[in-house]
Amino acid sequence: MNLGLRAVLHTARKWKKTLLVFCLLLAITTLVLSGLAIADAQEEQAEELRGTTGASFTVERNLSTGGWSNGSGGSYSIQEFLTEDMIQRIATVDGVEGYDASLITLPHIFNDKGKELTHENYSFYNYGSYNSQYHELFLSGRFEVAEGSHITDDMANGVMISRELADWNDLKVGDTLTGIYYPQNNTPAVDMEIVGIFDVAADKDDQVNMYDDSSYYDYSSFVFCSMEAAEGLLKGWGEKGEGISEAYYYVTDAAQLDNVIKKAQSISSINWNNFKLTANDQVYQNISNSLSDTGTLITTLIVVITAVSMALIVLILFMSVRSRNRETGILLAVGIAKPAVILQYVLETLLVAVVAFPLAYLSSKQVAGILGTLFDKAAENVIVTPEHFLLVAGGGGILLVAAALISCIPAMRLKPKEILSQME
Amino acid sequence: MNLCKRACLYSIRKKGKTLTLLAFLLVMATLMLTCLSIRSATETANTNIKKALLGYFTINAKHLDTGIPEAVTKQILSMDGLSGGYTLRSYTYATYLDTQGNPLEINTEDAAQIPDGYENAGRLVANTKSENDSYFTEGGFTLTEGSHIVTETGKQVLIHEKFAKRNGLSIGDTLLLRGIEDQTHTIPVTVAGIFINTKEQDSIGLAPSCDLYDNIMFTDLATASFLLYGTEGETRVQYGDFYVNDPDDLEQIMAEVQGIDSMDWANCTLTRYDNDYQNAKESLAGLQNIVFIAIAVVSLICFLVLALFLTLRLRGRIHETGVYLAMGISKGSVLMQYLLEVVIAAVLALLLSFGASSAISHQIGSSLLSQVTSEAYETVSLTGDAESAEKSSEDLGLSEIEVAVSAKDYALVWAFGMVLCAASTALAAYPIMKMKPRNILSQMS
Repeated sequence: MNLGLRAVLHTARKWKKTLLVFCLLLAITTLVLSGLAIADAQEEQAEELRGTTGASFTVERNLSTGGWSNGSGGSYSIQEFLTEDMIQRIATVDGVEGYDASLITLPHIFNDKGKELTHENYSFYNYGSYNSQYHELFLSGRFEVAEGSHITDDMANGVMISRELADWNDLKVGDTLTGIYYPQNNTPAVDMEIVGIFDVAADKDDQVNMYDDSSYYDYSSFVFCSMEAAEGLLKGWGEKGEGISEAYYYVTDAAQLDNVIKKAQSISSINWNNFKLTANDQVYQNISNSLSDTGTLITTLIVVITAVSMALIVLILFMSVRSRNRETGILLAVGIAKPAVILQYVLETLLVAVVAFPLAYLSSKQVAGILGTLFDKAAENVIVTPEHFLLVAGGGGILLVAAALISCIPAMRLKPKEILSQME
Repeated sequence: MNLCKRACLYSIRKKGKTLTLLAFLLVMATLMLTCLSIRSATETANTNIKKALLGYFTINAKHLDTGIPEAVTKQILSMDGLSGGYTLRSYTYATYLDTQGNPLEINTEDAAQIPDGYENAGRLVANTKSENDSYFTEGGFTLTEGSHIVTETGKQVLIHEKFAKRNGLSIGDTLLLRGIEDQTHTIPVTVAGIFINTKEQDSIGLAPSCDLYDNIMFTDLATASFLLYGTEGETRVQYGDFYVNDPDDLEQIMAEVQGIDSMDWANCTLTRYDNDYQNAKESLAGLQNIVFIAIAVVSLICFLVLALFLTLRLRGRIHETGVYLAMGISKGSVLMQYLLEVVIAAVLALLLSFGASSAISHQIGSSLLSQVTSEAYETVSLTGDAESAEKSSEDLGLSEIEVAVSAKDYALVWAFGMVLCAASTALAAYPIMKMKPRNILSQMS
């Protein structure tokens, strides 16, 4: 009888024992597979969390390398402004999630009957915007969209107004407004459609402001419009000193901010001598230590689980081989070579593993599925991938063979007579 | 021979088997304990993240004649849930005079207008720590000489470089601040530092003279309180930002603050600022859930493995069971013996596991700690070459993460372990106990 046949027969005839070892292997492999999936999920979750910290970099005119000129309102810089091409070019860098820039105009706004809107200040404070959801006022939570949507870079003539302005003038999403920058200077009238209405959550009465331009306007006079519309408002005005001086880029993963900045800086069509790049990731810096601690803890947890699982498998095999001392003695006594006996045991173990491993793959997917229904969001990321399976099957196989070999050592060192006499 | 003795003898004589069982239980208990201690450590990390996301609320008492009295500030700061971080602020205008009472010259060239009564006046900003004021953190102001204002009662000012030049002032000089409306309030202050602005003021041509960057001074809260409210010895402020530990508690803490009687809350504005937390909230909860999932999976599988293991062990003793029963020992006492054997091993294992998992936890703790320092180093080098104006993350008063086995967790593992051992032994023994001794013995070879 060859050893292959012996192994199969033992496995089949001692089916209860085989079943138990099988169940143990299945449980432990499922544990390790789930652990690996959880470790990956942790990484994704942490990445997502880093994404919510609003890490960004700012591209602005470098005033120190440009010249200065004097005009009516005092001295001003003649450094070049950011161009549309340049802004879009940087936005395509890998890792940039969104961007915005502001082109500020101070237009007068009329409703569709040609009547100027009721408002607080002399004019409106209008931000021409690519993607208003990335505007500082929205990101910081000072403004919140209440109705409709944000301005996006594919809109040609969208406009967002404050709730107060909408109430005073009986305006709603979908209405059309007309803006004129300098009515007395023949700048064109630009028609815009209201796409969104925002609520003001901040306290404008807080004197924390630094007396920049916008602080002289009431929040109700703040307006956001598509960049194209803002450029339209400026057409024909033509004075130097109106243009986009800053653009903001938000990155997907705060940990990658420096890499993204380096990539942006390597865009050769931009003369970086004229522009300054600044990283802003204070929130991420504040939490990064705690976040990486959590990561380390979870990774450690998985490592501990894996190590313990390995120890358990070795223990189980050790036990099952030990309980077969008598059998070993008999096999040796009937003249079967030691290597053949060892090989038989290894083969038996592998027979069980061959079935247990694929099943563990399925069962851990099941576990992930159940968890998915329990914790919808977090567990969505817990996915057992074929890579995990290959890793566990490969590592587990080697471990099993090694464990079977090691547990045979004590029995193999003895002579058949000693083994048999040692038993009862 | 009573069952205790039998159990002991079995355990001692079958050393190999007992050792295997012990090792098994030890590994399981250590695993559970380590998992639990890691879980509480991630909770600390989670709390730290919440704290570091800086949820706070602002009290705007600008319209109250009394401002926020010092007693109220103290009362708020003593409330539970506040992280201890706070910023008090006041803003006013003052006429600048030299020690003889002669007016000092301000910049009027770039001003849109010079309001009546403000010919020699400027904006006075008082902040708990002047370096944290938005002019410095966002407005591009930097101190070039001297030091920032850090005390509440130092009677100090920071002045703009241009203002200093225009009036021949330098650090250590004294000048007088006089209230605009109430001209009887005059207070001498010393120049503690000189600042410049690195960004240009974009509202030049719009701003009145007193708001121009050159004409701004920073001072301490007590000086502002004297000018605004005429208080001496008590510091009243217009605004207070109070930081909380857990942004989830903001709502409740704000309600509690509004319960303080001595203030006219109807004329104050309270605003909550926790946008960073609101953005991160979902992901943060997800991260915490993942830890929970890991623990749940480990516990479940531990239970399965242990039950299987004990079944495997008992099945090897069918023959022995038959012999006992044939000898007339009752089923109950045989079961008790098996149980006792497991319990003896379990007690030993649980005792040992405390040491083992404490050692592992300690190891994890120390490796975490070293990581924190290396990370801080990395940040410094990165910001250095990315040309960023970032200041190193300030001390947020985060608690140190400690991976340690708590008494509660240990008790939990004890209870869980004992129940598990008893239940799985009983379960494993059930099929054997159902049989008659004769069946058992005849079933064996």
